[in-house]
Amino acid sequence: MKFSGLTMLGAASLLATLLASTAFADVTVHVLRPEVPNTEKAYHQKMVADFEKSHPGVDIAFEYIANEAYKQKLTTLLQSDQKPDLIFSWAGGVLAQQAKAGVLQDISASVTSDWSASIANAGLSAFTIDGKVYGMPVNASDVVFWTNLDLAKKAGVDPESIKTWDDFLAAVKKAKEAGVTPIMVGGKDKWPLHFYYGYLWVREAGKDGMAAAMGGKGDGFAAAPFVKAGEDFKNLVDLQPFEPGFMDTTFEQATGQFGDGKALFHLMGDWEYGTEKQNSVSGKGIPDDKLGTIRFPAVQGGAGEATDTFGGINGYAVIAGAPPEAVEFLKYMTDAENQKLAGAQGLFIPIAKGVDESIANPFFRKMSEALAVSKFHQIFLDQALGSDVGATVTDVAADLAQGVVTPEAAAKTVQDAWSMR
Amino acid sequence: MKMTELAAPGLAPSIRSRGRFTSQTSALLLMLPPALVLFTLFVALPLFDAAYYSLFKWDGYGTPTDFIGLDNFKQALGHAVFWQAVRNTLIVLAVSVFVQLPIALGLALLIYEKTPANTLFRLIFFLPFILAEVASGLIWSFVFDGNTGVAAALFHALGMEPVFILADRHWAFAAITLVVVWKYFGFHMMIYIAALQGVPKEMLEAARLEGAGRWAIVRHVQVPMIASAIGVSVFFSIVGSLQLFDVVIPLTNGGPSNSTHTIVTYLYTFGLTRTRIGFGSAVGVMLFVAAVAFAVLYQRQISKGSRS
Amino acid sequence: MNAFRFLPALGKAAVLLVFTGFVLGPLTVAVFGGFKTNGELRVNPFGIPQQWDFEFYAAMLGDPAFWRYMGNSLIISLLTVFLTLIVSAAAAYVFAQIRFLGSRMMQAYLLAGLVFPFATAILPLFIKVRDLGLLDSYWAVILPQTAFGLSLSIMLFKTFFEQLPKDLFEAAHVEGCGYVRFFWQFTLPLSTPILATVGVFVFVQSWNNFLLPLVVINSRELFTWPLGMMQFRGEYLSEWNRTLAFISLTILPAVAFFIAAQKYIVAGLTGGAVKG
Repeated sequence: MKFSGLTMLGAASLLATLLASTAFADVTVHVLRPEVPNTEKAYHQKMVADFEKSHPGVDIAFEYIANEAYKQKLTTLLQSDQKPDLIFSWAGGVLAQQAKAGVLQDISASVTSDWSASIANAGLSAFTIDGKVYGMPVNASDVVFWTNLDLAKKAGVDPESIKTWDDFLAAVKKAKEAGVTPIMVGGKDKWPLHFYYGYLWVREAGKDGMAAAMGGKGDGFAAAPFVKAGEDFKNLVDLQPFEPGFMDTTFEQATGQFGDGKALFHLMGDWEYGTEKQNSVSGKGIPDDKLGTIRFPAVQGGAGEATDTFGGINGYAVIAGAPPEAVEFLKYMTDAENQKLAGAQGLFIPIAKGVDESIANPFFRKMSEALAVSKFHQIFLDQALGSDVGATVTDVAADLAQGVVTPEAAAKTVQDAWSMR
Repeated sequence: MKMTELAAPGLAPSIRSRGRFTSQTSALLLMLPPALVLFTLFVALPLFDAAYYSLFKWDGYGTPTDFIGLDNFKQALGHAVFWQAVRNTLIVLAVSVFVQLPIALGLALLIYEKTPANTLFRLIFFLPFILAEVASGLIWSFVFDGNTGVAAALFHALGMEPVFILADRHWAFAAITLVVVWKYFGFHMMIYIAALQGVPKEMLEAARLEGAGRWAIVRHVQVPMIASAIGVSVFFSIVGSLQLFDVVIPLTNGGPSNSTHTIVTYLYTFGLTRTRIGFGSAVGVMLFVAAVAFAVLYQRQISKGSRS
Repeated sequence: MNAFRFLPALGKAAVLLVFTGFVLGPLTVAVFGGFKTNGELRVNPFGIPQQWDFEFYAAMLGDPAFWRYMGNSLIISLLTVFLTLIVSAAAAYVFAQIRFLGSRMMQAYLLAGLVFPFATAILPLFIKVRDLGLLDSYWAVILPQTAFGLSLSIMLFKTFFEQLPKDLFEAAHVEGCGYVRFFWQFTLPLSTPILATVGVFVFVQSWNNFLLPLVVINSRELFTWPLGMMQFRGEYLSEWNRTLAFISLTILPAVAFFIAAQKYIVAGLTGGAVKG
């Protein structure tokens, strides 16, 4: 034998895998999603292992690609013969676009009443388009003002007392007088700025106002509440509250600098908790006892409730032609036990009902409670309004933040894009 | 070209023997089709497709069905950001031709001779061209950063408040043109060097013997001798400017408030990333038509110049 | 060397050094950045690293995925260069040497690609590649890249071929050498400088291409390095030092390729051909 043992071993194992994949795995479910931290990958792997154990003949393959590349690829990928079976989705208008194009699968028939009953309503409706269910949510995210308590003390600001937009503006003034940068924002990415504009929309227009605008009633997004929201935002911008050069600061840089203790407030979603630590110079960020969160304040005379929330609902959409096992696995991911586990590990805010108790991270728990009492949860506008109008909103939010457009013009720009979509 | 006057161009038609004809035919049949097929398949046909898509409102999923005629074109022409992008593209074009090329030519004249030191400089100046656009953008973002960058250090030394160049609507685009020059001048320099080395040494010697100074030689011998290379390089600069895209995206992504778009980043941002494929295609078609018009004019100028 | 010569030499050195600084400044930032901890990178992005941390470069070089990305990019780039040079030199030779009906129209047609922005074509191109069944293969990147490189390469080659001495062909033709054979035996060997120039250009374009591979390649086994870098940045969200180490390493193959080609670019343009 001239062959080395190693080659033989290699050939043998190759043969074995070939045989294995043909003999036992009758079906493979491909899951495609944007990149996540390793802790979350381990969580996925555990689910995959458990599921494969109880479903012989099924292979689940998770594939991760970088966030921006994922968005860029999706349109083309879904039209190739290598399309995945489940894709991560931020719901909203982009999901509607995909449903309209026929690349998604209507799974209404597979959604049993006990399954739908186990999911929070806002979550389920986000994945329902024209009465048809195209996917399922796994987590919700919530946008809050992350607060540096040390700087709050230095500026003489009591974060807990901030209830209205005017209170907030007063706090910003106070911070500036004390030489503290009031707000950190990653303006270069634009979407962090749209959190302000979008939240003010929700506060000024409320659930009914948003629905009316999206339904094209009256002046749509050019109506008074939306102009008023722009004015509220302008009142903040006029105070010059952001860090210097905020338009050349990316979200990653901003969150890192917030972690370095460079500003009092940072309006961001739940993921801020991990990223401000990871991106800070020390790698530790702000210690938990020096970190606070406050709700986005109410506006006087606004139609929205103070309890209304703004954030995301994320889950997975089922692709046309995916095998029933894909839906099966999706159901398994939304299962209460798995959702509890994610909550316990502090990976995200689970969306299954009755799992709040499992959430270990105090900041996440507070958000989960807020989501539970919220009667209206507005999905990020850059997702909710579809890719085109969504980008228009983030654009005008950035223009407002630089004071290069009036609130009226901003509202009109959005409405024009919305009516032309 | 003086050299070719030695050859007899009038000779070719007179000996049109049969052998030459078959030889020509086989060359035609063998050597042209690969280029034509590849080009038609991957450039021309997609261009026609894009022209077709430009008449539809289409998000890229499935097939286009929503026919809207020339609406996409009207929308673009009525969009202030589009005109800003056109302006920016023209600025890049002017800087490329009137700043970048003289620099490239000057450096080429300094280091075209074959010495080890020149080889090293050549490599150094060519490096940015080799570097990926994505990477260049990233590195320059560092340089321009108002908190930690070179710019910041400079302002600090002068005792001024730092300026965030890329966040500044007036300066951001100037910064982009600087990066464009940095990235591409080495490439044009290489074209000139290759051409300068082709200038026969005898001609330079003869000029020297006649007592011509350094500048006279450059002006009256070297530059005229590499005129065709300069033509190629100008054409290149212009075509490159019209298609500038990769450098802008990592630096400013078209911002702040859409003030630094070029035509291609505009069509990419408002067409592709917003899934308005029809709209993006319309902008692409307009760019293509403008570029073809330019190319035809350029060709005319060149042939006029060579006849006079 | 007299005093007259000395001043220009000094001026020349000064000019070259200024430009060297302009070019190398940002590049050293990248190379040094790969040796710094993230914290130091934020505080001291430009200076020499306070302590040389080889960890990030070592991590890259020890990562099989990194080598796979580089290998894929290399295969794709080299094949693109090879194909582009052969196909476009052949076509340019025909245009330069033979007068035939429709020649000018064909040239105009092929030159139209010069002014056709790649980004416009990306979706139709994807559909074309998909319909040809090439998705997720090296050819999905190589063929479109070659096609888009043709216009420019043909233009450069034709300009060059027209400057080659004509009497050489006449002599060869009398000896019974046909067009095709002459192309292989004389034209190409005489064209090393332009082959090198076009080759470097095409290589660099391919090596750094991002948009096309992003759209037509799905499986990670075939990722080119820019896709790998994107992937990598997603995994190490804010670890700039790793990204900079990655970038620094990806410049090397392109530099090596350039140095190899440099020799040919420097080769004499009409080395002895006229004397023959």
